[in-house]
Amino acid sequence: MKKLQKDTLLGMRDQLAGYAWEDEEISELVDPKLGIITGFQDLLDQLDELRQIDLGSTPPASHISPPPESD
Amino acid sequence: MNDELAFCSISRLTQKLRDGEVSSLQLVELFAQRIERFKIQSNAFISLDLEAAREAAGDLEYSADQALCGIPYACKDLFDVQGQVTSGGSRVLENEVAETNATVIDRMNAAGGIYLGKNNLHEFAYGATGENILHGTCQNPYDPSRLAGGSSSGSAAAVGYGLCTAALGTDTGGSVRAPAALCGLVGLKPTYGRISTEGVIPYSWTLDHVGTITRTAVDASILFSVLKDAPGPSKISRSARLEGLTIGIPETFFFEQADTEILDSVDQLMTFLTASGAKLRKVPMPSMEFTRTVSLTVQMPEALSYHNRYLETRGELYSQDFRAGLALGQCILAEQYVRAKRFIETYRRDTDAVFKEVDLLLTPATPAIAPKIGAVEVTTDGVSEPAGNAITRYTSFFNMTGHPAITFPCGMHSTGLPIAAQLVGRHYEDEALLDITSDIESRMDFRIPPPLLPGVTTPSLSGRGQG
Repeated sequence: MKKLQKDTLLGMRDQLAGYAWEDEEISELVDPKLGIITGFQDLLDQLDELRQIDLGSTPPASHISPPPESD
Repeated sequence: MNDELAFCSISRLTQKLRDGEVSSLQLVELFAQRIERFKIQSNAFISLDLEAAREAAGDLEYSADQALCGIPYACKDLFDVQGQVTSGGSRVLENEVAETNATVIDRMNAAGGIYLGKNNLHEFAYGATGENILHGTCQNPYDPSRLAGGSSSGSAAAVGYGLCTAALGTDTGGSVRAPAALCGLVGLKPTYGRISTEGVIPYSWTLDHVGTITRTAVDASILFSVLKDAPGPSKISRSARLEGLTIGIPETFFFEQADTEILDSVDQLMTFLTASGAKLRKVPMPSMEFTRTVSLTVQMPEALSYHNRYLETRGELYSQDFRAGLALGQCILAEQYVRAKRFIETYRRDTDAVFKEVDLLLTPATPAIAPKIGAVEVTTDGVSEPAGNAITRYTSFFNMTGHPAITFPCGMHSTGLPIAAQLVGRHYEDEALLDITSDIESRMDFRIPPPLLPGVTTPSLSGRGQG
């Protein structure tokens, strides 16, 4: 996986029906300096590892049903 | 009016109300005075409705049929209270008046509870430090230089400072359990979905739970019985005691990278549990390697999806902190979000498998004591991490799995801060979890002293909560 580029996120912002985040906010995701968000690149690296784990046919988590009444 | 009453449990106050030793109106006045006295230090409240509280308390006739008859309570400013602003601790919603009560507020009031006001919080529950630029940071009642924790910071501070008897919060990664633990209180996160979130501003629908902050586990049990949606079956008998229970001790993660005094306190608790007839057993847990990533990948898109309704017209009113999180949510791909939810399902199934071997799990509540206000990082065992991550490190997994979990005090740190443990139960065995915790509470000699607050002398208090 290549390193995240600011232009990628700017393109997402401008072309993929999202909110118009400020350029500085996009910059902060790519190269955090303010200490507000740490490691979006780290998050993506982890997501890439998660992508390679086979989950079989496990569905997404939803509500938790109560178990049947015990005797 | 004696300040001691401000630190009484629901159970004790109910006795006094029933016996006519005190009236609900007197309690409201006591809390009103204390809220004023400690408002700068605690920062616990964003808004108050004392006029309505006085009216409700004044009109009250004691009834044993109402579990909370005459008991003053507060709630995090995410809960709708009719006619009151639900601000989320943010400028974004500072003028938004609720038209109806949240479901749980209706239930509290129907049970006789007296609503006092809205508690401070980390803006929109985004964060575990409880810092709030608009309303100030809640100070820990045991040490004002330290955090009360968050995001239900005001709820914990309000109960901790003796400003109300109990408070409602929300818990998405530990935001009820952790501040309760840091402030010497009991924090309950029930089974996912067992307490209605209707009328509560969401942060992450997949992870949000309504929870309670109380002085005792018995009080938590009382509130749970009032708030829960439906009864639940219990594999552990409702009258279960420690004898014969099997308690799982996670082999990894939950006892790693933690303050040694916290580990010692929980170790003493384990000794007590064994001496009381419980069996302790080491259990393997699912890998925690990616749990924070999984949680964040679900949280931020869900938060963004909710707040999208305000971003266009009020986006500049959000804190920079929260905006940064929402921006991250925008950049997470749909398949990544779905995959994260599938991982949550695996965590649930794997944890359910652990519960085939044990009745409960025991962990420390937090790996560190309350951080200093302004601390960006916490260092435990030589490893540094962001303060918010540290505060919720042991709690957030159970938001994903949805198992009921409760934190309760089990000792004091040499710095004078409380130490707490966490018990986790099977899905829908909330009542049994509460019963067991109450049993521990009644037996164990781990009571902690109440906070020493300026101008308050409580020489008759021998332990927390006055029973």
